Amino acid sequence: MNFFESIDAGARAMAANKARAVITTIGIVLGVASVVTLLSLMRGGQQQTEAYFAELGGARELRITNTRTDRVFMTAAERASERLTYRDAQAILTDCPAVLTVDPEITRFLDVSYRDKNFMMKVLGTNRHYPYADDMPVAKGRFISDQDCQNYANVVMLGPTYKQDLFGDEEAIGKTIVIRGVPFTVVGIMQKKEFYFRGGGGSGDRNVLEWFNRSLYIPITTMVKRFTVDDRLDGLEIAAKSVEAVPDLTEEAHTVLLRHHGVEDFTIESKSGQIAAQNQEGAFFNIIFSAVAFVSLFVGGVVIANIMLASIAERIREIGVRKAIGASGLDVFVEFLLEAIVVTTSGGLVGILLGLGLTAAVERFLGMPVDLTPAIVAIALLTSVGVGIVFGMFPAIRAARLNPVEALRYQ
Amino acid sequence: MLIATKNLRKTYDLGAAQVEALRGVTLEIEQGEYVAIMGPSGSGKSTLMHILGCLDTPSSGRYTLAEREVSGLAGRALARVRNEEIGFVFQNFNLLPRIDVVANVALPLVYLGGVSKKERRTRAADVLERLGLGHRLRHRPNELSGGERQRASIARALVNEPSILLADEPTGNLDSKTGKEIMDILDGLSREGRTVILVTHDANVAAHARRVVQIEDGVIAREERT
Repeated sequence: MNFFESIDAGARAMAANKARAVITTIGIVLGVASVVTLLSLMRGGQQQTEAYFAELGGARELRITNTRTDRVFMTAAERASERLTYRDAQAILTDCPAVLTVDPEITRFLDVSYRDKNFMMKVLGTNRHYPYADDMPVAKGRFISDQDCQNYANVVMLGPTYKQDLFGDEEAIGKTIVIRGVPFTVVGIMQKKEFYFRGGGGSGDRNVLEWFNRSLYIPITTMVKRFTVDDRLDGLEIAAKSVEAVPDLTEEAHTVLLRHHGVEDFTIESKSGQIAAQNQEGAFFNIIFSAVAFVSLFVGGVVIANIMLASIAERIREIGVRKAIGASGLDVFVEFLLEAIVVTTSGGLVGILLGLGLTAAVERFLGMPVDLTPAIVAIALLTSVGVGIVFGMFPAIRAARLNPVEALRYQ
Repeated sequence: MLIATKNLRKTYDLGAAQVEALRGVTLEIEQGEYVAIMGPSGSGKSTLMHILGCLDTPSSGRYTLAEREVSGLAGRALARVRNEEIGFVFQNFNLLPRIDVVANVALPLVYLGGVSKKERRTRAADVLERLGLGHRLRHRPNELSGGERQRASIARALVNEPSILLADEPTGNLDSKTGKEIMDILDGLSREGRTVILVTHDANVAAHARRVVQIEDGVIAREERT
């Protein structure tokens, strides 16, 4: 019997007892629908995490921080280390072949005034690579340049919120503000950065990237010269030439810093590492969700196996007749297996449709992020075929093994 | 010799006891013969029929059918022989209820393989026409009368052009008038040169055959020729 006829026979068998067909497939429909919905939720969460990190800059960056020491007593070597300094940053730029950009940061809260306005504001000393590293486009004017750093220039870039605070709607470029007694010329305004997380209690209203909007940026060399006692950094971000070069860069930077510090009192983290860490936190829920989905599929499969067994019991005589007129065990096996697959696949298709609806509903009414990719649909479809194969196998083998003489006698 | 069996034995293992259903049956049937196998309940006639029809294999002894040694076959090979050489006619018709008459009759061709769907339906329709069921092609079996169902069953048995027609109590479920019609058909098929084997306990049915083989206690008790 060829493939399509077997499918036809399977569909017929299903149609013969409609009530049974419905009951059989309910398990599969619900199982597949939950697989689709849950996978979409999982993908949605992951995608949101990735988008968040993309907003912060791509996968080529490494973030280097001073490792916190919990111990009260430091070893002599630890005390001798100056921790991360501007000189480290310069060394990395020259000594690491895989590096593309280096942007060191020193952050201080300083008084800033313009005319009669006076605030305590966050001032970040950095170099021209900062906006590249963190994907921060300039809205007006320009960012800090290499020359600014070389000349210890007194120039400043404004984050949009601070610009509003100091200047309101006035034009700011070219004006002078005073930072802790030192006059600085405004050369640029940054574009607003925003990202809102969806789902979860009310954080949807908060721009998690507001931090960037509330900053003033000056050359790091100026920061060191004017406002700090040494060149110790608060943070260091370096970018590799390519995503593939990230492991090399990690090693190179590690070597340089270890040489300068003498001890490993720093941590090098990659953005993808952070993404992985975030995803791992979500992994707990993923496991729960997946377990639910696959348990319901399993239940659906067991239901199908049972119903197929019952169906075979009804058709023992028929199987005997088929064998009498020349069906081999293999013919019978294939026929019943295909029947099971037809049942599960049609249930799977309905389940996918239901899953599409559920996913849309979850997104609309619960506000949770979802991402329904074609891959998810493919997984759901393959799973339903697979369930048919796995749970149809035992009943099909049973049917194939029936002794024709006994089968014909069966009442 | 179309059918030749030598010393067929069949023993069933029923746990503690062993039942010897056939205790050495040697039988020869030529092509074109019209034979009836008669015997009371428990005589072994059903067992013999199952073995002749390749539904079962003997415990020992040989069975050669159409020059093929089939007693040693099993599984797929045996199914093949059933498909190609044997045409079964059952007492209770055994038509599949969910498909129409044409599909029922065409079923042996499906298992034969290599025949297109169109060709199958054509051949099945042909045989049904010859048996006077040309107007019932699209009906389901449960829409047919008893006589029509048995005719459809005979059509199915013929569609693959088998070597032998094996009819097990063909009139058992029919009234006497319809039963006569069916026996007329079988008689006609024998006159056309087919080998027909009737298995029955009814002497009136057996009388249609030209040779009656009596089975008792697992062996051939006697034979009669008319």
